[in-house]
Parts: sequence; structure tokens; C-alpha cells
Amino acid sequence: MSDALIEVRDVSVTFGSGSRAVRAVRQVSLHIEKGEAVGIVGESGSGKSTLARVLAGLQRPNSGEVRFAGESIYQRGKAYRGENRRLVQMVFQDPYGSLNPRITALSAVSEAVRVHGVGSRKDAIAKSLELLGRMGISERDAGKKPRQLSGGQRQRVSVARALSAQPSVLLADEPTSAIDQSAQAQLLNLFRGLLDGGLSIALVSHDLGVIRYLTQRVYVMKDGEFVESGLTVEVFDNPQQEYTKQLIASIPGRELHKALS
Amino acid sequence: MSVNAMASESSDVLVEIRDLVIGIQRTRKDRLLIVESANFDIRRAEILGLVGESGSGKTMVCRSLIGTLKRRSASIFAGTIKFDGMDLAKLEERQWRSVRGSRIGYVPQSALTGANPVMTVGKQLGEAIRRNRKRKEKDVRRRVMELLELVHIRRPEVVYDQYPHQLSGGMRQRVMIAAAITQDPDIVVADEPTTGLDVTVQAEIMKLLKEIRSELKMSVILVSHDLALIDEVCDRLVVMHAGTCVEVGSVSAVARTPLHPYTIALNRSRIDISTPGAPLITIKGNPPAVGEWPAGCRFSDRCDFVQQDCTVGRNPVLVEVRPNHWSACLHAERLGGTSE
Ligand SMILES: Nc1ncnc2c1ncn2[C@@H]1O[C@H](COP(=O)(O)OP(=O)(O)OP(=O)(O)O)[C@@H](O)[C@H]1O
Ligand SMILES: Nc1ncnc2c1ncn2[C@@H]1O[C@H](COP(=O)(O)OP(=O)(O)OP(=O)(O)O)[C@@H](O)[C@H]1O
Ligand SMILES: [Mg+2]
Ligand SMILES: [Mg+2]
Repeated sequence: MSDALIEVRDVSVTFGSGSRAVRAVRQVSLHIEKGEAVGIVGESGSGKSTLARVLAGLQRPNSGEVRFAGESIYQRGKAYRGENRRLVQMVFQDPYGSLNPRITALSAVSEAVRVHGVGSRKDAIAKSLELLGRMGISERDAGKKPRQLSGGQRQRVSVARALSAQPSVLLADEPTSAIDQSAQAQLLNLFRGLLDGGLSIALVSHDLGVIRYLTQRVYVMKDGEFVESGLTVEVFDNPQQEYTKQLIASIPGRELHKALS
Repeated sequence: MSVNAMASESSDVLVEIRDLVIGIQRTRKDRLLIVESANFDIRRAEILGLVGESGSGKTMVCRSLIGTLKRRSASIFAGTIKFDGMDLAKLEERQWRSVRGSRIGYVPQSALTGANPVMTVGKQLGEAIRRNRKRKEKDVRRRVMELLELVHIRRPEVVYDQYPHQLSGGMRQRVMIAAAITQDPDIVVADEPTTGLDVTVQAEIMKLLKEIRSELKMSVILVSHDLALIDEVCDRLVVMHAGTCVEVGSVSAVARTPLHPYTIALNRSRIDISTPGAPLITIKGNPPAVGEWPAGCRFSDRCDFVQQDCTVGRNPVLVEVRPNHWSACLHAERLGGTSE
């Protein structure tokens, strides 16, 4: 798969050493094509966030390779140099920890717009407000600092910030977990439009409904390894591994869905 | 019948929240109201779901139950929260110390902010256990291990010595749940306790909350955006929109015959997994920011069923439209049975 936009090959990450060592990611390979959405699912602690951070260049793997547009992302020790730094954006699992507590939502987003060199300050603000608005954040809420925003509002601000850089790859770690169903639908509709425009997305989510809705392919992770991967529809309709079967069986409301359809 | 009649069968009522107003005093004269009329009961040994639009005030209501509004610069301006002969709305910080944690446990929305970053998991839980009773060091350690196992932490002996940032998101959430039940409280307030957890762990935690309810006879308030999950584990449900409770009732009544247009619209935006990729239905327009609410009903400018009288006057209050099923919609009577 050499024409993949972003890929990891045989990547491993170990935290700590000796008897306390945690092998968070073990010999994992994954690729994402342009305009494709892939899902990463699996139990808590299985290494999904660590893998997403590896793709983002924020966690250097102990071994293995990370490639973006055909080249290793590490050059002279640094990940994603120059323009590439803008092209790969990440939405973190904990939006509170990833937003600067001292600046407003609007500044956070417009700063990102400006860092990535889009027009004047005024243009950047207009563009940021538009993006926040599409995400359901009003102008008034845009003037608030993280502490003054609700959990779901923060989460949408961090998605807006990542998208404001106009990335070609979005690594989204649980981007819809803290928002209501209608806001989630709004965000997924937006993602769908961006995918049609060529954005690639790696989506980490515990919500298998969201994964099923948005992604073409899915990787199922357990104890740092992929136990199953393939087309999302096939993996969901015909899971091969015991673990995947369990995972699908515990989706809440499945009985309800079945009864209704 | 008005909200005051809610407590009719009051013997099993543990907490009674009436006309609660929460806001921020910005200057001496300028108040920003965030929650304007929260009205509901928490019954003994029930799991009460709290759902609603992001930013509608769910976390604020939760914080009012454990006396930590101040940390969000907010305070209670009016209303009562009756609990065991006390009015929590008027409690002094000194008095809170014997309620928070020991009588009412709390699982915060963001596990990372809830945990102390410079203290190991074992130390944090140990301290919570010792807070009320003196115990031998050895017993404390054993109890911490028990709790970690109870919330299904694997390799608890490793996690005991770890700091919060070394845990995955889901592990942190489970540690916070363990912390909330260390002192056997009467009520556990869980603000999105399984957000970001994989479904198998989520199912386990829901089982755990049910056990807490039936075996330890604790009441649980569960805030969640996952309506399917709420449907499965909760007994009753409170729906919030724009700082008000717009619907209260049994889970089956609210799910099957919703009596408020916001609830109906929320149900419609559910992902239909049988047609992946089809555009999803959203509620039109954006949620109003706090303080920018329209006149009359706060949902009126986004409502599919809006009538002339909806856009004038005060924000409508809860009315018992059917036995034990309250709605704040002026036209609730006509909505009955609009579920899909
Ligand atoms: N900085 C760190 N130091 C030590 N261990 C870590 C660190 N970061 C992660 N780990 C460990 O690596 C493992 C994988 O963590 P990761 O956060 O990738 O899991 P996850 O699949 O994202 O889980 P969740 O669904 O709960 O978010 C866990 O056992 C975690 O404790
Ligand atoms: N310090 C503050 N100043 C101004 N507005 C605030 C402040 N703190 C909170 N708010 C506003 O109060 C409203 C209620 O916040 P709250 O956290 O209770 O929402 P929530 O219902 O829990 O939402 P979510 O589902 O996203 O967690 C939000 O719209 C938020 O923007
Ligand atoms: Mg994670
Ligand atoms: Mg909240």
C-alpha cells in the first residue's frame, strides 16, 4: 500500500521498563488512503490513543516506521516538518487538557487559522466564527474560556481548532463522546462533507454506531494488537474474532434497534 | 397540577429539587442565569437519567448537589434542594464537608480534571477511605485493591502506584467511579461516567451502577448523551434544554410517548445504522447561548410544532400532563404519542 496518504508499519510503543513495562502498541501496521475514513475500536487501555498519537507524530515509537505521503515523518529527529505539520491534525480525547485555559475559544481557533497563514486577523476571526457556528457554537460562547464552557462545547471547540488548519489528515480521538445526539449528527454530517472533499480521517471511538456510520474500514484493537480488520460493514455483520463479537454484542440498545427494524 | 404536586408519593423521595436557579454574579448588579428552573425528585434506590442539549446546564445541576458550583464561579440564586432534613441550596462550606463524598458521591465529567495529577491512584483512593474513619494502613490498601477490582481494573497492583496521566482514558474514569463509592454514599452523581469508554466496559459499569442501586440501595444520577444506554439502565428520566427541565417521567413513557418537542427532535437525530452514510437529521438552528434565550418557550424558534402563544411571555414550567409524566410544552397534550 505505497499510495497510502498516511501509514504505520510494524510500530511498537512500550512505556516504562522491567516488570512494570506496559507494551501499549505491539507491531501494528495500518494505512489510510486519501478521502478515506478508518475506525479504530477496542477496549479501554488497548492502545488506541497511543496509536493515534504515533500517527500525529506526538509519540515516537520504539520501533517501526510512520510515513506521510510516502516519506518517513521523522527527519533529523523531528516529526512533521514545515507544511506537513499543518496537514496532520489531532483532536484529543480529553478536550479540557488540550485547550489553553487562558484564551477564549475564538482566539484558540483563530490563532490556529493564522498560524497556518490564512489572511488578515479580521479574515481569520470571520473564518473561525463560521467554523465554530457550523459546529453549533454561538458567537457568544466563542468568547468564553474553556472553564466557562460545558464539556461538549469544549469538545466541539477542539474539533474546530483542528479543522481550522485545513488538514489533509484528521486524527480524532473520541470526538463525539461528550456531545448530545443532535450535535453529534451535525458533526458527522460535517465530517462526511469533508471526506467528500478529500480529507482522510482516523476515528477512534467507543461508539460503534458512529464508526459504522462514518468509516469504510475498521481496525479492532486488543492489548496493543489488531485482532481483526477489514471493511466496516463486513466486520460488523460477520465478526470473525470472539472479542469483536463480544464488542458488538454489548452495544446498548441493540435489542431495541433490532426490534424496530 | 403544578410541580409542587410532584412529591405526592413522597415517602420514597430522597432529594427534592424545586425552582432551582443557578447563575454567575458577574458584577454587583449583573447576573447571568444559567439554570432557571430545575424541578425534579430523586427517589430512593433509583437510577435517574439526566439528558439534554450540550450546554443546557446538566453539569451545573450536578455540581449544585455536591456544593462545588464555586469552582465554576457559579452559585445558587434561588430554590431549594431538600435532602434528609437539610436544604443543600443553603449549606455552608463547613457543613458540606460532612455531605460531599460521604453522603453524596461524585464522578466528574472530565476524569483528568477530577483526579489529582501528582498523587498516585492508591494514595488518592486511600485518602478518600481514611477521610471518615481511621483505619489501619493494611486495611486501607486492601480496600483500595477491592475497589479497583470492583471497577474491573486489570493489574490493580501496577495501577495502585501509577499517576493519572499514565492511565488510559477509560481506566481513569473507572478510578473516579471507585473514588465516588469509597464512602458508601446515599447518592452517586455520575456526570457522563462512561463517556469515551468502550462498550464492553461501559456495559460492565452500567451493571455495576445497577448493583450499587439494588444491593447497596444507593440512588444514582446518570448524565449521558447515549439515549440507548439511558433506556437500558435508568428508571426515570429528566430532559434539560436551555437551563430548564422540559420533561420528566419514567424512561419508557419519555422514550415511547415523548411530551416535549425537544425530546422528539433529539430522538430523531439518532444514527440509523441500517443506512450508513445517509445525511443525519439534526435539530435546526443552533442551541441558544446562555442569556440569549428567546421570549416564551426557549425551544420555540427551533420547534416544528410552534404556535403563536409559544413565543411570548415567560418560559413555560413543568406540568403533569399524564400521571407521573411532566412536560413544559404548552401544547404537550397535542403531542402525545408522536414517537416513532
Ligand atoms: N504516558 C504513559 N506512561 C505510562 N503508561 C502509559 C502512558 N500512556 C499510556 N499508557 C498505558 O498504555 C496503555 C494504552 O493506553 P491508551 O491510552 O493508548 O489506551 P486506549 O485504547 O486509548 O484506552 P481508552 O479507550 O481507555 O482511552 C494503557 O495501559 C496505559 O496505562
Ligand atoms: N463561568 C461561566 N461563565 C459563563 N458561562 C458559563 C460559565 N460556566 C458555564 N457556563 C455556561 O453554562 C452552560 C451550562 O454548562 P454545563 O456545563 O452545565 O452544561 P452541560 O449541560 O453539562 O453540557 P455538556 O453536555 O456539554 O457537558 C453552558 O452553556 C456554558 O457555556
Ligand atoms: Mg484513549
Ligand atoms: Mg456537562
